[in-house]
Amino acid sequence: MTTWFWIVMAPVLGGLVYGGERVLRARMQRRQGPPLLQPFYDMFKLMDKRTLVIHSAHALLGVVHFLVLWITVGAIFFGWNLLYIVFLHLFALIVLVIAGYSVRSVFSQIGANRELLALVAYEPVLLLVTVGFYLYAGSFYIGDILHHSGYLSQMPLLFLALLVILPIKVKKSPFDVVEGHQEIVGGVEVEYSGFFFEFLYMARFLEYIFIYSFVFLFGGADYWLGALLVIGTFILVNLVDNATARVRAADMVKISYLLALLLAGINIVWMLT
Amino acid sequence: MKWLAQFRKKSPWILHYNAGSCNGCDIEILAALSPRFDLERFGIVNTGNPKQTDIFLVTGPVTFHSRERLVELYSQIPEPKVVVAVGACTSTGGVFRGMYNVEDGIDRYIPVDVYVPGCAASPQLIIDGIVQALSILEKKNKAIEKPFRLFGGIKRIGKKISRLTMAKRIGEEK
Amino acid sequence: MPGAMLLILLPIVATLLLRWFRSEKMQYILLATTVVLLSATALKLYFGSAVLTFHFPHWLELFIVIADLLLLLYFLWQGRRFDRRIITLLAVIQLLLYGWAESVLPEEGGAEVVVDALSTFMFLIINIVGGIIVVYAVRYMSYEEISEEKKRLFIAYLLLFLSVMNAVVVSNSLLLFFFLFEMTTLASYLLIGFRGDETAQKNALKALWMNQIGGVVILLGTLCAIYGYDTTRFDALTGSVGGTLLLCVSLVSMAALVKGASIPFDGWLLGAMVAPTPVSAILHSATMVKIAPWLILKLSPALGGTGVGLLLSTFGGFVFVAASYLALSRTVFKEILGYSTIALLGLMMALAAIGTPETSILTMVLIFFHALSKAMLFMTAGVVEKLHHLKDIEDMKGLIETAPKSARFILFGFVSLTLPPFGLFIVKLFAIEEVSHMLPDHPGLFLLLLSILIGSTLLVLLYFKVTAAILSRPSDIVGLGHEAMPSGFLLPLAILAVLVVFTTIRLAAVQQVADLTLFFVPIAMLVLAPLAYRWMDRFDRVKCYHCGEKESFDAALYYYEPTPKIRVAIYTFFTLLFVSVALTGALS
Ligand code: SF4
Repeated sequence: MTTWFWIVMAPVLGGLVYGGERVLRARMQRRQGPPLLQPFYDMFKLMDKRTLVIHSAHALLGVVHFLVLWITVGAIFFGWNLLYIVFLHLFALIVLVIAGYSVRSVFSQIGANRELLALVAYEPVLLLVTVGFYLYAGSFYIGDILHHSGYLSQMPLLFLALLVILPIKVKKSPFDVVEGHQEIVGGVEVEYSGFFFEFLYMARFLEYIFIYSFVFLFGGADYWLGALLVIGTFILVNLVDNATARVRAADMVKISYLLALLLAGINIVWMLT
Repeated sequence: MKWLAQFRKKSPWILHYNAGSCNGCDIEILAALSPRFDLERFGIVNTGNPKQTDIFLVTGPVTFHSRERLVELYSQIPEPKVVVAVGACTSTGGVFRGMYNVEDGIDRYIPVDVYVPGCAASPQLIIDGIVQALSILEKKNKAIEKPFRLFGGIKRIGKKISRLTMAKRIGEEK
Repeated sequence: MPGAMLLILLPIVATLLLRWFRSEKMQYILLATTVVLLSATALKLYFGSAVLTFHFPHWLELFIVIADLLLLLYFLWQGRRFDRRIITLLAVIQLLLYGWAESVLPEEGGAEVVVDALSTFMFLIINIVGGIIVVYAVRYMSYEEISEEKKRLFIAYLLLFLSVMNAVVVSNSLLLFFFLFEMTTLASYLLIGFRGDETAQKNALKALWMNQIGGVVILLGTLCAIYGYDTTRFDALTGSVGGTLLLCVSLVSMAALVKGASIPFDGWLLGAMVAPTPVSAILHSATMVKIAPWLILKLSPALGGTGVGLLLSTFGGFVFVAASYLALSRTVFKEILGYSTIALLGLMMALAAIGTPETSILTMVLIFFHALSKAMLFMTAGVVEKLHHLKDIEDMKGLIETAPKSARFILFGFVSLTLPPFGLFIVKLFAIEEVSHMLPDHPGLFLLLLSILIGSTLLVLLYFKVTAAILSRPSDIVGLGHEAMPSGFLLPLAILAVLVVFTTIRLAAVQQVADLTLFFVPIAMLVLAPLAYRWMDRFDRVKCYHCGEKESFDAALYYYEPTPKIRVAIYTFFTLLFVSVALTGALS
């Protein structure tokens, strides 16, 4: 029952994380920043706007993207097979990419393309992290993974690799080309408005939960350690976001492969020997 | 939906468009958005995308070149929306008034809700203008607002409402 | 045995009958009957699952020797005729090796033909998918501007090809396999060169010499088997131990790499694009290239767990990545499909070479679903080419509006190749699971795992990059256009699509992994989304945002061109890797 409760509340939880992040970033810049509940204010406002759509399929694909992500997050709470979860997430992303490509909008198409590039950059690393968990815990199931501990000492480089790709997933500098607000006006989400933009907005909350739960898993049976890791990573990512400039899309892939994939690979090989 | 209207005030998203200004006011707008003045504390975000915008911040007197774009952007903003004319030249033509290649202010083309004075308008004034605009925004409804000129009409095709031709080109008028 | 006999003979009979079936309607009747019979027989054999063996009578053996010599002489003549020294040279080498092999041929009792589970499985693909392609070819050829005679000739080629393929997958003798391998080479040579223009001729010759390398290595492998183990039978060879076994096996499996168009031999498969589309469909998807994974599967008892097997796995994995990467710079739709076929063939061979029962099953499932999806995609490419005169993805922009049916088939094809819950996806998923499972005992598989991970994301990038062109629409104020697709095109495509869905559900049911069912939820959402279209009418339609500009814009498609240096590096690397397969075999 509680699991279902948490699944239903996942977007709210993610919204709080997002709101907290905006506050945190504001404080890092020595300003007051928006209220913690700001994302929810935005949501309510969007509900009461006229909604403009390009075409039905495009708008509905945004909704499907959100729903699939929700299922993904639900699967995480249910302690499902981590490998399946990563692929379910891939499905959600592909839906978004198809949506982005389905309109004849330059920004949307560039955004969708970059979304795919980002996928190429982070997906192998994410899967290697998953394989790392499997090698250590002997199972892909999150329930089993959470029964062991000591991941950090066995997979430190995989954790570092995860840290490298994390900004890609939460769309933060230096890897925020996918969104590039000043450049491609939000990428895929550019053609969404009102009611349908809400789903994309909430999807972002769920992305936070998705990727931070990977960080949490590194704590293993020690939930406090996991929570500590999440908070530490959260602060670090925002610090980096405030301190760095955007790299180009091709460089994102290069950095991810040369750094994250290498780290992950070394760690896995080390675990095998 | 009355209850939802209160949130318009709490999360106004901005689209900033330069309709041929001297860039003085644009810099001030950016200053207002910067950490020093911290517009984000009102929940304001500079989206740069008309489709997710509530407040249309315009600077500049509308040069001939930017007329179509101004109306196009305006018609792509979903209602309820407010327009804030930032700076003297945006309101009346200002220093550019009477020039051969500009209109005298954006209200020749689109309805303006708040005029912010000053050549360059200071960040404080801009913030004040936006706050004024917020109370107007709260009272507005969702009916489609039309530009004064270059208005191509709203069409119903089948059951769908088409805003595709809402903004016309120069020359297509009349 | 009669079932398998029927599969081999029926297409030949149909070919002979084709002479008297001149009108299109009659041809359809003939071909449909043939294909239904073939498919039914294949299904019956598949579910019958008894191992059948067959020993050749002496006259048949003699016939094959003569046919083989004639075939090699024909190749020799083609080499002389078009002044290609490499073809002549390879033909001469093969003639010498073949003569040598025949002269030292041991007397042995094993059966030349064995119909086992693997063969009946291949029958399914060859006859069902191949058969559908043959039926499709009738309508396709009606758009070609050539004489009726030639059109019938083309269909006759395709039918004969089915027969040859049916024979390949039951061959248990290396020399018989060599003969049939050369026959498929001949088939691809004739089919690629069918249009007869200059590029067709050039590409056909390219296919010829590349495939002849395969013939040479098979003969070398045969000699090795004869001298080492006194046998030319697959089962006897893979059952033996020690000695030069790995050298023989690695030599024969190199033929698979050639037939599977692995880099550096990707040229011939891409060259096949100039041929009429049913050819590329049948070469790529249904049959011919599937010899490659089939051969490796056949050899896998000897390959599993050895250095050569590991090398082949890694090779396949690398091909998977490199071919996906090379495809990113292509603009012709069929070439993109061709490269992705090469990539997936790499994956098939990689999995087959691991050699455990689980990976063998995975390979078979992969072969099956790939055949269905790729056949569908190639056939749609043909439809788009014939009905709308489009070949290049740059020109396909907005295909969903002008040709909604074709566009949906393409989209469905891509989705079925990448996304859950479709078969190919499930195979990739299980492959990752399986390889991770084996990893602690076989650390060498790590490179393969990495390749699968990277390659599959690259393929996702490739496929959905193409959808960008197909799907983009400025608005839905005006509805989609109507695409009149002749039922000669529509029916085969629809049958394939239904097969994909049906077999996927069956696969998921067989697996009995409850979690898999959850993968059906997202796809159901996608399918059901159009139900909400009517409700969508309440929302305003608006233009795309282009900074307020009034001109209509179009985003360019993205291409990722490797620099010439990288390209050379890739090909050199793979050539070295190819040679090192034999070296590893010799050394271990
Ligand atoms: S009001 Fe003055 S400072 Fe502002 S844009 Fe116009 S001319 Fe420039």
